[in-house]
Amino acid sequence: MTRITLGSAVLRGTVATALMASLMSTSALGAPPVDLSKWSPEYVRSIAGTQDFDAAADCAKVTPLDYKGRLTFWYQGVFEGDPDLLRQYYKDFFETFRKTYPNIQLEEQALTYNDLLDKFRTALLGNAAPMAVRLQILGGTEFASKGYLQPLKPEDVGYSTEDFWPGAMKAVTWEGVTYGIPTNNETMAFIWNADIFKRAGLDPDKAPATWDDVVKYSKQIHDKLGIAGYGLVARKNAGNTPYRFMPQLWAYGGGVFDEATANPTYEQVKLDSPQSKAALQASYDMYVRDKSVPVSALTNQQADNQPLFLAGQLGMMISHPSDYDVMLDLQKKATGADKDKAQTVIDNMRYGLIPTGPDGKRAVVFGGSNIHILKPEYVEGGKVDEPAAKAIICMWTSPEWSLKMAYAGSNPGNLNGFKTKWMKERLDNIKFLDVTTSMLPYGIPFPALPQAPEIMNIIVPDMLQNALTGAMTVDQAADDAAKKVRDLMGGL
Amino acid sequence: MTIVTGKAEARRRLQSGRSGVLRKIWDHRADYAYVLPAIAVMLIVIAYPIYYTIELSFFKTPPGLQLRDKTFIGFDNYTAILTSEVFWKVTWNTLIWTLGSTLISFVLGFATALALHRAFIGRGVLRAILIIPWVISAVAASYIWKWIYHSDFGIIGAVLVGLGLADRPPNFIDSVSTVLPSLIVVNIWREFPFAMIMMMAGLQTVPEQLLRAAQVDGASAWQRFWHVTFPHLRNVSTVTILLLAVANFNSFIIPWIMTGGGPSNASHIWITHIYELAFGRQRWGVASAYSVLLFLILMTLGYFYVRALSGNERKEGSA
Repeated sequence: MTRITLGSAVLRGTVATALMASLMSTSALGAPPVDLSKWSPEYVRSIAGTQDFDAAADCAKVTPLDYKGRLTFWYQGVFEGDPDLLRQYYKDFFETFRKTYPNIQLEEQALTYNDLLDKFRTALLGNAAPMAVRLQILGGTEFASKGYLQPLKPEDVGYSTEDFWPGAMKAVTWEGVTYGIPTNNETMAFIWNADIFKRAGLDPDKAPATWDDVVKYSKQIHDKLGIAGYGLVARKNAGNTPYRFMPQLWAYGGGVFDEATANPTYEQVKLDSPQSKAALQASYDMYVRDKSVPVSALTNQQADNQPLFLAGQLGMMISHPSDYDVMLDLQKKATGADKDKAQTVIDNMRYGLIPTGPDGKRAVVFGGSNIHILKPEYVEGGKVDEPAAKAIICMWTSPEWSLKMAYAGSNPGNLNGFKTKWMKERLDNIKFLDVTTSMLPYGIPFPALPQAPEIMNIIVPDMLQNALTGAMTVDQAADDAAKKVRDLMGGL
Repeated sequence: MTIVTGKAEARRRLQSGRSGVLRKIWDHRADYAYVLPAIAVMLIVIAYPIYYTIELSFFKTPPGLQLRDKTFIGFDNYTAILTSEVFWKVTWNTLIWTLGSTLISFVLGFATALALHRAFIGRGVLRAILIIPWVISAVAASYIWKWIYHSDFGIIGAVLVGLGLADRPPNFIDSVSTVLPSLIVVNIWREFPFAMIMMMAGLQTVPEQLLRAAQVDGASAWQRFWHVTFPHLRNVSTVTILLLAVANFNSFIIPWIMTGGGPSNASHIWITHIYELAFGRQRWGVASAYSVLLFLILMTLGYFYVRALSGNERKEGSA
């Protein structure tokens, strides 16, 4: 198995430094629990298991453990592409919460990433929202700007703002007020099948260095082996699409706005810039010119790429470290020759940093989720049980549970989670975790704008689909998308 | 002697008419009391939403603001819809979807009903099998068909490639030219059993004596069908076609689950487009205007449906 030297790469390059500065740019960065400037796989290993935390004791200071109340709570839960391990941790969390707060009547509801925003918006229109909600990072600003959320900062549940990634705090801040607390933050990595690389005549232990290499490798794999090279995803209304296309867009120097810069202003739309068009052209080349990616990319999600990868029919993809666990889960369910075939793929699974653009720029989406409390007038019954809501928020964002709930695929929102014994255990058990953790400093948050969900879930995928289906040329698709963003920002 | 003027006579008739209506209502007060709860529920769950949708269609609802911050813009939403390129594309898709699904489902259902009308061994089993697509959940069926059609490892593609009939799996739902016909096939598969059941029921009403008499008179099978069977099925056919058309205009599950209206809006029909406008893009005003237009079309179809039903009743009454 390849051991990738990543430590030096992490802090390399001026672009990475700028991005790092962006993530760290907050006045509250006085004394964070971990030193973000030293961030590297080695540093993460050195702090793991160095401190003990007691979630129940900490949360008892916020809401007494014998508090009697009722809480309605919606959250973005596990979905078909998640590993069984994560399902178990979600189950454990709610059991533990009920044991810790036996007098809080909890009515929780899990919704998938792609359904949550639509259902939550609908519930808000009917003043039937839950008291608390855990939303994808993309959603917080939309609801805060519309006045649905109560101000809520880490200090309200016993933590401090410095305990959380500064970039994540930006995603829960609207016009200077904090409206939520990050539960988990993540960056993905590049995954490839070394055996496929070898058979296609590529270096099995070397990931493509640039996105142009990805295009080249994808074609080589397809031409030599007749299988898909890169796992392109371009489905509309699916979170997987922006998470995979935006790193490509940013690496080429493009963007929706200037969100990839250290201090974004979101004033100028850049989707029709030559750099953005070059990124779109790369996808076009793979899908249309070379036909080297899955044809089903337009209706696919990452969950569809996983079985393709496990079946040895896909050479490369972008995903979480949890995909390794998903592969193990799927392999366990396979039978006969399929089981052995799957094991071969797992043995040949490699993780590396996401490729750079032509100018050496490396980027990845700084993703995650936040937790919020609603204003009473939008909640069913017109009342919010704040102590109960704060109790669950305190537990979920505690070092222990923010880590456990992100055990396989993400990272704890609370930076103290990196110091827990479970982080140490995780580093030993979850293969390739250090690779994705290494990508964190390259993370770029989605634009912290109320319009971001429509841009990322509809306009960007539409642009991809228009170009890839031939409905428009690459130039037309980029121009059309830029116009849509300008209209949207203009209030149309 | 009383002189009755024209005006006084009209007033008297009006009063008499009013008291007549009131009297009738009073005489049937128990009947009205029975249906009152249903009417109340309908007013709450149907009439009010219709009123609210119509009202909302005259407002601009910026996506960055709450719904209560809407601004009145008159008919601007309707103008914007009717002058937008997407509207005509989606309308064209809707027409192809509705007409294709309705007509083919009906013809296929009718043909199957005729085939199953005569007694033969295994007819009951075959009937039960053919009804399965109709009773399966549309959501489950959509997911199954999505896998059947899958452009990389779908069953159809695997069979075609395995038999050497194709080099690579055909692209059913990831191509702008094949996606809508592919979805229509799924819809027909799900709907034709409904048409089959309706037409089978209709066939039971065709008098056997008439068919025998026509046979004795030397009528061919086609003549018996065209001159005896078909006239008896005219009304049930009209009702079936109208019900299918209304259901197809409103159809949401299959296109939304299988493609979400994509790729590149090629499978967006009105109802999926309205959903995306409202819940995905939060253009509640524009989505409401779309809904009002759709409502008017469905009401027109509904009118013909009721007329067809009334025609049936009148004929049965006079028979």
